[in-house]
Amino acid sequence: MLEIEMTRFKSILLTTLSMVVLLPALHAQEEGVWRHYDIDAVPIHGARSIKEIGVKETKLDSIVLKEGISLSMADILAFNTPIFVKSYGRATLSTVSFRGTSPSHTQVSWNGMKLNNPMLGMTDFSMIPAYFIDDASLLHGTSSVNETGGGLGGAVKLSTRPTQTEGFALQYIQGIGSFNTFDEFLRLTYGNKRWQLSTRVVHSYSANDFEYRNHDKKENIYDENMNIIGQYYPIERNRSGSFKDFHILQEAYYNTRRGSRIGLNAWYIDSNRELPMLTVDHGADTEFDNRQREHTFRGVITWDHLHSDWKVGAKAGYVNTRLAYDYKRDLGNGIMAHMTSSRSRVNTLYAQGDGEYCIGSKWLFNASLSAHQHFVYSRDKNIILQQGNKGIVGYNQARIELSGSLSAKWRPTEYLGISAVLREELFGTELSPLIPALFIDGRLSKRGNVIAKASISRNYRYPSLNDLYFLPGGNPNLRSESGWSYDAGISFSVGNRESFSLSGSATWFDSYINDWIIWLPTTKGFFSPRNVKDVHAYGVEIDASTDIRLNDNLHLRVDGNYSWTPSINCGEKISDADRSVGKQLPYVPRHTANISGRLSWHRWTFLYKWCYYSERFTMSSNDLSLTGKLPPYFMSNISLERTVSLKWADLSLKGSVNNLFNEEYLSVLSRPMPGINFEIFIGITPRWR
Amino acid sequence: MRRLLLILTLFAVGCMEWDYGLEEDFDIEASARGLFICNEGNFQYGNATLSYYDPDTKRLENEVFYRANAMKLGDVAQSMTIRDGIGWVVVNNSHVVFAIDINTFKEVGRITGLTSPRYMHFVSDEKAYITQIWDNRIFIVNPKRYEITGYIDIPNMTMEQGSTEQMVQKGKYLYVNCWSYQNRILKIDTESDTIVGELEVGIQPTSLALDCNGKLWTITDGGYDSSPYGYEAPALYRIDPENFTIEHTFSFKKGDAPSEVQLNGAGDTLYWINDDIWAMDVTAERVPVRPFLDSRGTIYYGLTVDPKSGDVYIADAVDYTQQGKIYRYSKEGELINEFYVGVIPGSFCWR
Repeated sequence: MLEIEMTRFKSILLTTLSMVVLLPALHAQEEGVWRHYDIDAVPIHGARSIKEIGVKETKLDSIVLKEGISLSMADILAFNTPIFVKSYGRATLSTVSFRGTSPSHTQVSWNGMKLNNPMLGMTDFSMIPAYFIDDASLLHGTSSVNETGGGLGGAVKLSTRPTQTEGFALQYIQGIGSFNTFDEFLRLTYGNKRWQLSTRVVHSYSANDFEYRNHDKKENIYDENMNIIGQYYPIERNRSGSFKDFHILQEAYYNTRRGSRIGLNAWYIDSNRELPMLTVDHGADTEFDNRQREHTFRGVITWDHLHSDWKVGAKAGYVNTRLAYDYKRDLGNGIMAHMTSSRSRVNTLYAQGDGEYCIGSKWLFNASLSAHQHFVYSRDKNIILQQGNKGIVGYNQARIELSGSLSAKWRPTEYLGISAVLREELFGTELSPLIPALFIDGRLSKRGNVIAKASISRNYRYPSLNDLYFLPGGNPNLRSESGWSYDAGISFSVGNRESFSLSGSATWFDSYINDWIIWLPTTKGFFSPRNVKDVHAYGVEIDASTDIRLNDNLHLRVDGNYSWTPSINCGEKISDADRSVGKQLPYVPRHTANISGRLSWHRWTFLYKWCYYSERFTMSSNDLSLTGKLPPYFMSNISLERTVSLKWADLSLKGSVNNLFNEEYLSVLSRPMPGINFEIFIGITPRWR
Repeated sequence: MRRLLLILTLFAVGCMEWDYGLEEDFDIEASARGLFICNEGNFQYGNATLSYYDPDTKRLENEVFYRANAMKLGDVAQSMTIRDGIGWVVVNNSHVVFAIDINTFKEVGRITGLTSPRYMHFVSDEKAYITQIWDNRIFIVNPKRYEITGYIDIPNMTMEQGSTEQMVQKGKYLYVNCWSYQNRILKIDTESDTIVGELEVGIQPTSLALDCNGKLWTITDGGYDSSPYGYEAPALYRIDPENFTIEHTFSFKKGDAPSEVQLNGAGDTLYWINDDIWAMDVTAERVPVRPFLDSRGTIYYGLTVDPKSGDVYIADAVDYTQQGKIYRYSKEGELINEFYVGVIPGSFCWR
């Protein structure tokens, strides 16, 4: 009996570890666990992990990530999850936000280490190639407290894992697309029973000069006396939009085969991007150079040791980011003079320790402590001082961020689970109040696997380093944002793996965020952050997924998400003139939806992706003036792929059409977006044996 | 099945609703008085707008540029000036100055090729100056041809720290305040387009005015805490333009952020913003004890005085992300009217 219990516990532990902990695939050699990540996986209905009690998590499996090989994680999330992606253009800043919160309320980790820029507090998802991510999951609202603090909207966990290669393997994919776009992907892997090595490279270049009809401005036709005799909306190209991104990721995993696993991940980014001109910019692109360059290195070493009833793990990492922003103009003599030349450097040291212990199959205890030590140097401007000597406008700051948590999870029967988490954080010398979270779930019906969940948590987000110290404008007197979140939902799943499955869930959420930080102009000509708003964000998230195998060669899978997210300013009026109270926050759509359908037949795969964003207001008062709103839009992408197996290699040929209906749309005011565009991919995976 | 296909088609086909292309006809009486309000909009969002208010009928029209021309005004409408029935709207981050008919609001031309324009001043029908930020030159333009004809290089100023702002002219000399990370007033000979004098004042003079006695006024904001350029108590300065010397300094508290020095039509009363709204006789030797109008949680961002009636118009940016509000007060401080305009109303222009 004890042996059965122990075996079951082991299975639960390994399953949860493989889903949540950094190096899930290191468990691959444990029989059966690996199947949870099988690309053909349908939801695993029977085994509810004790670690996931009450958790609302959206997992993106490798099939979704593989489909969007040329895409950034921003695009993947837009088409496959209910969160809102705010994109400033193609290969331009893209941020994500959950449930009507702001991008800085989304905590993002890569193999356990924070990806949020400590200066800005948010993450640019356009800088994360989907090719480098093997597992991605979203922890909605309260569920994020299991992993981190500060996720007032939620958390995004991204991670890599080893392939199970025996010997050498190579994959190369070449993409060629519209607007002079060239994407190259290379992966080299080597593996044996103990070692798994992988090198991945992504290189993307695009002139990104897509054509669009500019309805925000007109060109004038003058007579010889300079009287306007005609006007028209010009067909323009996206100006100053080119980009060249290079990423390399080196991974090494070692399995001692005596319970310990060691992993190394090192990711280097070299990005050189122009910043596209606004649709209302009447300057000539030949006169201005507006460019952002980034060099980032991220490295993480992990160690995990598994025992029958406990597990410990440790991680250590280092991040070095150098950002350069240059805005130059031609003085008319060919000399490009700097109007702005800002530089920033971020060095982060990271360490984390985790431990888990279980008593029988009903209790699981977890303790975790992480530390991020940031060293930031920011230079916004070079100036000549009053005395005539040179000066720098900027700041130099260091901050330690500690986050510790204790959790206890209890599943007395298969019908009930309760989980409690206590988290405490330290930012510099500021200790956060206790962050508690409570989760409960229960199986209402075995038939249909109907499960109800509920959770509640308190949360805090500390101001970013720019919020506090940026010159000019940083406000050291800012308070932390704080809030309470509540979740309740129900899910079901029916069917079987072989022929048909259907699953779905509906979640209601309700959260209050106080002291929301917003950067606002000042009368001194610069922006400064202030604790401005109290926000009530609530709504419903619904998702559904079906998987149908009509026969051995015909397979249909459809996934859909819908969310309704009122995000209401419920604070006090700033003054009598303030009309923003009771209104939806700017740029937060009330409705978002997406559907993706995948039809496989023999070696053919057809993919259809569709997403929808409702109208977004651009003003806090929700005025419906001409510049006060962005119309809703639908977006459709399709692709068709054919694979060929030859004696010496596997080949794949794929064609993609993005913005299928050539939609004219905007995600942000005055930022042009591309119309219909195409890309073809040719992939080769040689057979060495 | 057909119904399903129809629904699927509706879902799939794009339907972003655009409402562009419609030009509205305005016909303001040529003799009518009116006030243009430049609403900056949010930097980098291209939502600047132009509002028009008739002080006699209290008629308000918002987004007049967009409505009359079926195109956006642009990104950060900084200022406007009028000459001979043509309004010149300086749109800073769109790198353009639009010329519009002030009766129809229709565009009649535009000046491009600018770095980051702030203000425009006419020297003659065929010569005007346009000041810039992030450029160490004042641009000389021919408004008739919408052409840049030359530059005035500013000594001891880099591009990155470049900042020339408001301009007033007395005789053949033009005076310009240099604001961002600057501390001086320039004197320019408009015949030779050369700088003939510089006067050091406090840190960051924000604005400039010429009173009925021919005296120049400027007000500094004092910089900000931890600024490498310095941080000091701001001050109001009365300057003798002939000798180009400071006649009187009226100091404020360190941490204050005064701005927008303006004069009434007669040029004998000075107004400015320093959280509250302040008014002072140009011959006064000290700043009044009490403000002309108290702040009431408002964020006063712009100020003008009706040159005819003396009514004081104050722009409230509210939270900077919604329509701002204009308060119209009599010169005695009685509220006459209030109305909403565009996002961040910052400057005014009387016709």
